[in-house]
Formats: sequence, structure tokens, C-alpha cells
Amino acid sequence: MAKLRVVHYINQFFAQIGGEEKADYPAELRVGEIVGPGQALTQQFGEDAEIVATIVCGDSYFNENLDKAKADILAMVKEQAPDVFVAGPAFNAGRYGVACGTIAAAVQEELGIPAVTGMYIENPGADMFKTKVYIVSTKNSAAGMRDAVKKLAPLTVKIGRGEAIGASSEEGYIPNGVRVNFFEKERGSQRAVKMLIKKLADKPFETEFPMPDFDRVDPNPAVKDLAHAKIALVTSGGIVPKGNPDHIESSSASHYGEYDIAGVMDLTEETYETAHGGYDPVYANEDSDRVLPVDVLRDMEKEGKIGELHHLFYTTTGNGTAVASSKAFAAEFSQKLKADGVDAVILTST
Amino acid sequence: MRLEMGHIYIKDIQFAAESKIEDGILYVSEEAVRAVALEDEKIKSVSFDIAKPGESVRITPVKDVIEPRVKVEGRGGIFPGVIAKVDTVGEGKTYALKGMAVVTAGKIVGFQEGIIDMTGPGADYTPFSKTLNLVMVCEPVDDIKPHDYEKAVRFAGFRVAVYLGELARELTPDETKVYETCTIKEGMEKYPNLPRVAYVQMLQSQGLLHDTYVYGVDAKKIVPTIMSPTEVMDGAIVSGNCVSACDKNPTYVHLNNPVVHDMFEQHGKTFNFVCHIITNENVYLADKQRSSDWTAKLCKMLDLDGVIVSQEGFGNPDTDLIMNCKKIEAEGVKTVIITDEYAGRDGKSQSLADSDPAADAVVTGGNANQVIILPKLDKVIGTLDYVTKIAGASEETLREDGSLEVELQVLTGATNETGFNKLSAR
Amino acid sequence: MIVFKSSFFYDKHTEVTVREKRKQMGSRDYMVITNNPLVLDRLKETHHIVYRDISYEEILREVRDRIHEGHTLLSHPLSGSVKPNETPYKSIMLSERKGEIDEGSVQLIENAIQACRKFIFKSDLYEESVYDDFQLIDWSLLESGMASADVW
Repeated sequence: MAKLRVVHYINQFFAQIGGEEKADYPAELRVGEIVGPGQALTQQFGEDAEIVATIVCGDSYFNENLDKAKADILAMVKEQAPDVFVAGPAFNAGRYGVACGTIAAAVQEELGIPAVTGMYIENPGADMFKTKVYIVSTKNSAAGMRDAVKKLAPLTVKIGRGEAIGASSEEGYIPNGVRVNFFEKERGSQRAVKMLIKKLADKPFETEFPMPDFDRVDPNPAVKDLAHAKIALVTSGGIVPKGNPDHIESSSASHYGEYDIAGVMDLTEETYETAHGGYDPVYANEDSDRVLPVDVLRDMEKEGKIGELHHLFYTTTGNGTAVASSKAFAAEFSQKLKADGVDAVILTST
Repeated sequence: MRLEMGHIYIKDIQFAAESKIEDGILYVSEEAVRAVALEDEKIKSVSFDIAKPGESVRITPVKDVIEPRVKVEGRGGIFPGVIAKVDTVGEGKTYALKGMAVVTAGKIVGFQEGIIDMTGPGADYTPFSKTLNLVMVCEPVDDIKPHDYEKAVRFAGFRVAVYLGELARELTPDETKVYETCTIKEGMEKYPNLPRVAYVQMLQSQGLLHDTYVYGVDAKKIVPTIMSPTEVMDGAIVSGNCVSACDKNPTYVHLNNPVVHDMFEQHGKTFNFVCHIITNENVYLADKQRSSDWTAKLCKMLDLDGVIVSQEGFGNPDTDLIMNCKKIEAEGVKTVIITDEYAGRDGKSQSLADSDPAADAVVTGGNANQVIILPKLDKVIGTLDYVTKIAGASEETLREDGSLEVELQVLTGATNETGFNKLSAR
Repeated sequence: MIVFKSSFFYDKHTEVTVREKRKQMGSRDYMVITNNPLVLDRLKETHHIVYRDISYEEILREVRDRIHEGHTLLSHPLSGSVKPNETPYKSIMLSERKGEIDEGSVQLIENAIQACRKFIFKSDLYEESVYDDFQLIDWSLLESGMASADVW
């Protein structure tokens, strides 16, 4: 089997250019060079793969010039036409981890070239990208390089060859929400007994199925003076001005929309619709007030039940949208709502 | 209670003029077992066949799998309240024919399920590809109701298993294992420093084709109770469950309950295996509340430190599992639960229909929605007519080359929730 | 979640209620939401049956809507090991009385609706006779729930 062609991405630190003071180092392609951790990877690859080029980029440069850096690096990778792309490992370096995740995901999505990276589970990049690319779980510092490369190299080869990827515990990647079957060495009852013994002794044990992580939020205290409160509408039901000007996706939304409803008394079939692809849109398209109740709130405004309806509403589609994305959207527009003096929000979903 | 289990290893099964066990070979008189099966007038005809590990044979639709046993000393008989008269079992001496099973098959309902492949990729998943199987396909009399048919096949399987077990009565076992539990007081005195643990077993009990029997009692009508862990080894619990092939417990699994056996391994060493608690999985929500309240109460009354909870089936029992786990943990008793997953074909869906942070120690039998290709095998025992109608099979099931594209769901015992297998998922 | 009135998404179907009979029989505190003709046939004279000719998942949604109106779930929406999208039939018991919205019921029904989507739809692939079996199984699951309810 021919050796897989690998392009390797590292930051300025691992390229031994320098530390924080060199973090603004722009993206640079080094064809035919194996740099830093690339040596260890090459050793592990053996006859299976070879690094044909290394891309070096400063962490600050990448994160501060995101669009340009991404475009430049994608062009470099495209030019090399590798079979597989490897970024990092980033260990616990936050900006490096985010850069590795961002560029690996972009290479995979935009160039269709399989990609893999590695980092410590608490690296913020892990949570952001674990469902998008395989991220090998590493120790929290570069002292764990040997161990990281031992997992990263074989996974790179498998991914490069398009082979079936086993369960996270077998391959060493951070669980990505996709459940994969595999055979354990012991039967389930034995594993249960061992787990119980550990649990009884207050020793650490690892569950085979982590319960879904429900981020429960306590409701805020009730609004005391509704008659003078400024109320805003927010929805995950996908209500947008007709034509969906900002192209909010029908599922797995990547952004939210902010729209002005100053003077809008009623959402009509002619003016508004839903972008949501997860429910039958007929009734929402017929009358978007059914999802985003502008008409009723205008009435209440008139009747003096509420102070006023905020002139902007925020909208996205909740359909399959990652919790992390939803959180990021909300964190951003909540600040705007606060700045605009909004007292309370009615959040509608579907 | 002390039970001595004598294992008689069966190396081969052959049809012969006379039924006997000699040098590890089980000779079966077809005529004799047929007569045993046909004792019930609801069964019109029965055909017997032998399937051996490695053979190109597919058995379907499987109803139950049973290990032949015989009670040679002590109270009662195998399958008390079902075949033997009601008497408390679990002490004395019992022999089991190891390495073999009686497999009952027959189309009870149109979407009947259960495949055992003796070779190929399917064989890796079903534990019953490793046993020598005496398969009985039962045809009912005309116009029989499914519940009468189910009962007839269930009992016919037990009768044949007991008949075969009897052949071992006078033999000397190849291996003997002793299982002994203490009374509450004895245990406290004998193992004052060991944690006290129990096994909480949830029994399928939702209705027709979803039933389990304890000493002959329909499990949906029980309140949770305690048993000696040795009782199941004499057939105290039997399966009347025909649905969800991958995660239902055939009678074989009850007899050889892996949690019971693996907890016995640690008994007196790392913990004191106090007892076996059984509970049910009814459809009525108030029943669930009562039963889970009771399991938690029993755990508390028994001063337990920890339990393993096992599940049976999909959906509805997820709720029982979580209720049991939550309430038992709330009593300060540490739990480990065993389940399986329905994470969708792509593995991306939510695996369970219920969840709670208290369930922090979970063992999984794998994702039952995983797709598997079963190649065409030379011989089919039973009928393939219904394969396209079993859980997890879809319209493309029967492919042009005769292979089947199915989900693990259809394979008998594949994702067993008592931890019978090595299959898992992450 | 926005709560729509149950009539919002669905055409009005005939609601088979024999309230007079029910009154004569004493007060059963439950109704059955079903798409199973066998259940309708067996219980219409004696029980409050809401029969809808809709899918399994739609039955769950119908129940969901009623839970939001204050009815409490009495039987498990995923009763039975026959998977959603495999069997087309579902019968669910709900309290006759309305009260505060029961959070446990909301959670159960939402989880059940979500669970439906994990299974490939093949409810329409069976031979005629198989549907009788599906109806029978659904009926027997319901029957076991009613047996528990009727104790009171």
C-alpha cells in the first residue's frame, strides 16, 4: 500500500519559533519539511504514511485573523492534496486547541480531506470541535507527546484510508456523541461487578454510558411590574422575514438573526415565515404569530398590560442545533438585550 | 442456602433410537421428545433438528432457549410452579447439561423475531451460536390464539428440557460448583467488614408475549421480593417473552444469570452477596412507582451498601431502570445499572428513553440499532418468511445475494441487559 | 415549547365517547387515546375511548397535547417491546381529570416522541394478517395497564 500523504499543522511554539512573543507569526507552508512533533508522528507512521508538508501558524495570528488565516491555510492544504490532515496535538493550550479544531474541521468540510487532531479533554477546543472531527485525547502538557502520538498516528492512518473507526475507548479519541459498538474483554456482568466494587470503595470508575448532560437553569424571579416592563421576543422556532435574508439553516443553525419589528403589528403570510425544518411549517408560514406572538404582545402593549415590546427580536432554528452553538448565540444577544434595557424575554420554541 | 451445581459437558448431540447421555454425547430419541412435546393438544406437530457451532445454519424465529437441568437432591424440581410442583428450590444438588440448549422456534405472531446464526458475523453476537442446539419447531393446531400458542410452545420447551435433564440424573458431573449464601444474621456475623450487596433484577412484565413467570406467577402481579440467588439456578424464573430478541432474557439466561454468577465469585471476598431482589416492568405508571418504591425500601431494610440493577427490554423499562436507580441511590445505596442502547443506526440518537444524573455507573450491552449484514447460510431451521417482519429488519432486508441487512435487534441475546455478553459501546 | 390546542394541528375526528354509559358504570378515572381499531371495538361500549386514525407518533403528540391541558399520563407511552415505527398501533391511558400540568408526564411523553425517530419506519410493510397481531399485542399491553387501574 502506498504511503498516505499527510499535511501537518502546528503552532509557532511547537515549530520552535518562539513563545507568546512570536504568536503573531503568520501562516507558513514548509513543503517537504517535518517539524517538531512531526518527527514523532513520522516515527509512528512507519511505512503507512509520511508528512509531505508542515504548516506553521502563530496562535494569535490564527485567532485574530481567522478568516484570512483559514483561507490561506486551506489554500496551502489544497495545493498539497494530502490524503489526510493532522493538526497538533494541542494538549491544554487553549488558543492552539481552538485553532487545531477550527482548521481540521474546515479542511474536512471545505476540502473534503479527512482530518484529525489531538488535545486535552479540558481544552476549550475539545468541546467546540469533538463532534466535528476526531480529537485524540491527550495529557494536559507536551510531556504527554509520546502517548499522544501513539494514538494519533494510527488513527490518522485509519482515517486517511477511510477505514471503519472503532469506539472512542478503543481508538483513544474524545467521545463525540456517536455510539459505536465493540467487544470488551469481559462480559457485562463482570464489568458491572468491578464497577460496583470500585464505587463501593469510593475509587474512580468510568461509566460506559454517561447520562446526557442536562443544563438545568432555574427560572428568574417573576417580573414585578409588567405594565412598565420592556419585553423582547426570542425564538428557536425559526421565524424570519419572508425570504430568510440571512439564510438561517433549517437545521443545525450556525447563526441567529436579529430583526426589527418597530411598527409591525402583525406577522402575516406575506411578510414572515419559518426557516425551521423540524416541524410542519404550514401553520407557521400561514401566520408566524403562532410561533412569535407579535400580534398578542402588540395588543397587550395597547392595553397597557406590558410596558412595551422591544423593537428587535432574535431568532434561530433549534432543530439539531448544537447546545454549544445555542449557548454562544444566547450569550451574545443577551448582552444586546441587556444593553437595550430589556426587562424580560419571552422565549418560544416549537 | 447451599446449592451444588454439577456440570455435565455435552460434546455432541445425535439422534438415536434411545435417549441417553454417554461419554459426553447426548443421544436423542426423536420419537420420545416428540411425544413429550405433543403432550399438549394445542401443538399439532413438532420437528426436531440439531444445529452445531460453526455450521452454516440459521435458526429463526427463535422463541426461547433453555438449558436442560435435573434436580438430584433437595427440595422441589426444575421449573417449580411451571413443570415441577410448587416448592422452594435453590438448595441441594442440581445437574446441568453444559454446552447445549433446547431452542424453541415457531411463528407465534406475524412479526415474530429472533435469529441464531451458527456461523458468520451474526454468530459473534448471539451467545447461542456457541451451544449445541436441539431445535424444536412447533406448529399449533389451526385457529389458535397467539397467547395459547405462546403458552403451548413455552411449556413444550420446558418439558423437553426437563426430559433431557432427567437423562443426567444418575451421571457423575464433570465439574461441581458450590453456591452458598447466608441468612441475614449469619452474613452480618461472618462478614462484618464486607460491604453488603444485592442484585436487583427487573423482569419483563408488560402483557402478552412480554411476560416472565416466577414460580409460575405472572411477574406483573408481584410486588418486589427477595430470593436466594441460587433459586434461579433451579428454574425459579422462566421466560414467556417473545419480543425484542436482542435484549429479552431467554430462560437459559435466567438459569445462568451472569450477574448472579459473577456476584457469587466475589461473595465472601470483596463483598457479601446478600440476596437477589426481583421486581417488574409494568406498563401502568402507578405500578412502576410502587415497585421502585419497594425495591428501594427492600435495599434499605436489608442494610445494603450497593446493588447491581439489570433491565430487560426497550423503552418502557428504561423508566423503571431510572426510577429504581434514583430511589435506591437516594437511600444511600450505591448502584451500577446494566442496560443496552437504541442510539439509532448512526449511533447519534439518545440511547435511553429516560435518564437521571444518579445513574452515574452504567454498563451497556451495546447499540441494538447497529446494522449488520448476515450472509446467506446453507440451511434454515424454522422459516425465513418472517425475517423481513422482525424488529430491526427493513424492506431491504433480504438482499439480492440472499444476505440479510438487519439491525442487531433481531439476533437472540445480542445486547442482553444482564451482562451476558462482551458487546459494549462508547 | 408552545402549547397548541389539540385541534390546532389535527382535523377533528370523531371522538367516541359514551359518557352516559360510563356514568352508569361508575366513575372510571381514565380515558384511552388509541389508533387501534381493536381497542375501539372492545372498549367503546364501556370506556371513554378517544380513537384517532393517525400514526403511532401522532398518537404520542395527541397525548402530549392533552398532558399540556392538565391530564396525567397513567400508562407508559412506550409500552411494549415492539418498536415504534414497527407496530403502527399505540394505546395510552390518561387521567380523566385535569389538574396542574404534570411534569413527570411531560418528560415521559417528550422522551417517547424523541425515541420514535430512532427507528426506521416500516409499519406499512407487513402482510394484512400481521396487523391483527400488532393490534392484539397493543390491546394486551393496554389490558395489563387497565387491570392495574381497575383495582381501584
